[in-house]
Amino acid sequence: MAEGTAPAPPIRVDAISRRFGRTLALDGVSFEVRDREFFALLGPNGAGKTTLLHILCTVLRPDSGQALIRGLDVVRQPLAARRLLGIVFQEASLDDRLTVRENLDLHGLVFGVPGALRRRRIDEMLALVELTAWADRTTRTLSSGMKRRLEIARALIHDSEILLLDEPTAGLDAQSRERIWSYIRRLRGERHITVLVTTHYIEEVEGCDRVCIVDRGRVLALDAPETLKRTHGGQMLRIVPRGDDDRRAILGRFADRLKGEAGDAILLASDDAFVEAFLADCGRRIRSMTVEIPSLETVFLTLTGRALRDQSAGESERTRAFGRRGGEHTR
Amino acid sequence: MTAAAPTPSLAPVSRRSPVLVQLGGLYGLWLREVKRAVRDRGQLVGGFSRPILWVLILGIGLNPYFRGEVYGEVTFVVPFTYLQFIFPAVVALNIMYTSVQSAISVIWDREFGFLREVLVSPLSRSTVLLGKVLGGATVAMAHGSLVLVLARFADVPLTWGTVAKALGVMAMLALALTSLGIVIANRIRSFEGFGVFSNAVILPLYFTSSSIFPLDPALTRAQTRVVYPDWLVTLVEYNPLTYAVDTLRGVLIHYNQFDPRLGLLIMAVAGIVLFTIALLDFRRA
Ligand SMILES: Nc1ncnc2c1ncn2[C@@H]1O[C@H](COP(=O)(O)OP(=O)(O)OP(=O)(O)O)[C@@H](O)[C@H]1O
Ligand SMILES: [Mg+2]
Repeated sequence: MAEGTAPAPPIRVDAISRRFGRTLALDGVSFEVRDREFFALLGPNGAGKTTLLHILCTVLRPDSGQALIRGLDVVRQPLAARRLLGIVFQEASLDDRLTVRENLDLHGLVFGVPGALRRRRIDEMLALVELTAWADRTTRTLSSGMKRRLEIARALIHDSEILLLDEPTAGLDAQSRERIWSYIRRLRGERHITVLVTTHYIEEVEGCDRVCIVDRGRVLALDAPETLKRTHGGQMLRIVPRGDDDRRAILGRFADRLKGEAGDAILLASDDAFVEAFLADCGRRIRSMTVEIPSLETVFLTLTGRALRDQSAGESERTRAFGRRGGEHTR
Repeated sequence: MTAAAPTPSLAPVSRRSPVLVQLGGLYGLWLREVKRAVRDRGQLVGGFSRPILWVLILGIGLNPYFRGEVYGEVTFVVPFTYLQFIFPAVVALNIMYTSVQSAISVIWDREFGFLREVLVSPLSRSTVLLGKVLGGATVAMAHGSLVLVLARFADVPLTWGTVAKALGVMAMLALALTSLGIVIANRIRSFEGFGVFSNAVILPLYFTSSSIFPLDPALTRAQTRVVYPDWLVTLVEYNPLTYAVDTLRGVLIHYNQFDPRLGLLIMAVAGIVLFTIALLDFRRA
């Protein structure tokens, strides 16, 4: 790797591919995250976000390509790379029989943070995520939002300067989600830290520095949210035609503007002048019409031709369900 | 973007030596196992009730029948009571249950994600595994020691020297059995309960280890096979636990059916081999 005067970027991903059986989870993904950036990976379920994060945090090997954390190859220097990373996995990884503080303390021990510093950081991070009052509660008794906050705090107990968050807000209510984002924002003001976050909530990535849109293991676009909206967003008309004749007529007439079809609706690229012209022309052929202002949603729609898909259940659900039901005392 | 100076305590950690990091992590993982066990009511109840049932109820109940003269004719002449005889075996039983139970928790660590947290730490795989094994073995030894408390009811006189030696043997047994449990747990993809384990692994091993009945010391090898069916004698002789229990019995009631060094050797070899297998599994996973 060519070393300039500037330090290596926090994250560099170079033509990474990874296959699971027949599924090509990652297909030549490349990008670079800049220093202190707030970087979002946006993609539907199965896009390959988690796979990419697992490669970055050294628990999964890529089939080909290279991933560098501050210039450290995650395959050849995993231990050194891990020291720089703070990770919040998509699925909880707390010991729910330990207390909040014990979970943090264990993390500090495991990462070799000396005693006095460990205790000070635990207090600071508990304060940051507002869990100080819960420090001596068993983790099992926390709400899922609190567990998420605890995991974020935990990722910051050691010298992490790159925070990887895999869907930190998935499954949480609006209030908890907003809280988590506010902690991350505050943290970025206080500590020299680069944040890479994955999500499939489009509205959440508006505040990021740059968004990387991935689908089916490929990078579709990467830019600041505003730029993405300008270049790919565009205004769109969502039209539901009255009948099949009307549908054919509209499709025939505006084939060059067609962006896609979603159920009954037809999506057409549009602007203010076009709306007027369209109404004058085909006003009687439509049942309903919505003007979609440029948003990341329309960017996504434009790039993939479909909306973000829904969630599905995990694999070893049976064993987990058993454990969750109270399972055996062995848990 | 604000370029505020990082708060002083967030400045980089002074680099600890790698050995210290591994040792600290080992301590943390060990402590976790112990804390979890202390908070596990079900496991504690089992740890207390099992020896009480075996020693006080079964042992005292069967004690009179153990003497040959019950039937008016002396068949076996043994220098100990039945209670004394099964006492070391109950120690082993308690260790066995607890070791395997601790080892099973690797399934939960895997399914509930805790394992991931450790896998992205700077700890080596062998440190992680050793933490688990040492933690599980410590808890198992504690449960084994609970049985020692009942020694006076079983007429087993304990001196400090005996206790120290017994603890040594118990530690070896606990380490080997915890490793065994982990090797088994690693091969299980879906887990529905501990009952399967106790029925398929623990009890068969226990019952065929010459734990609850002795192969008569006064009889020769050939005679033994006349008194007991061939297959049973063979099972007992091939069961490694037989030799471990025998060594412990030698320490506690000074009675050995085999060379006590054989038990130590088997436990040491089994412990090392099983730990190595567990480590290879873990590295591959
Ligand atoms: N361990 C695995 N074995 C087999 N296939 C896998 C495995 N992990 C991921 N995949 C497949 O790889 C693809 C990408 O999965 P990945 O978990 O990276 O998606 P994701 O973007 O994180 O999705 P989500 O939003 O649901 O978390 C999916 O098709 C998934 O089924
Ligand atoms: Mg995912």
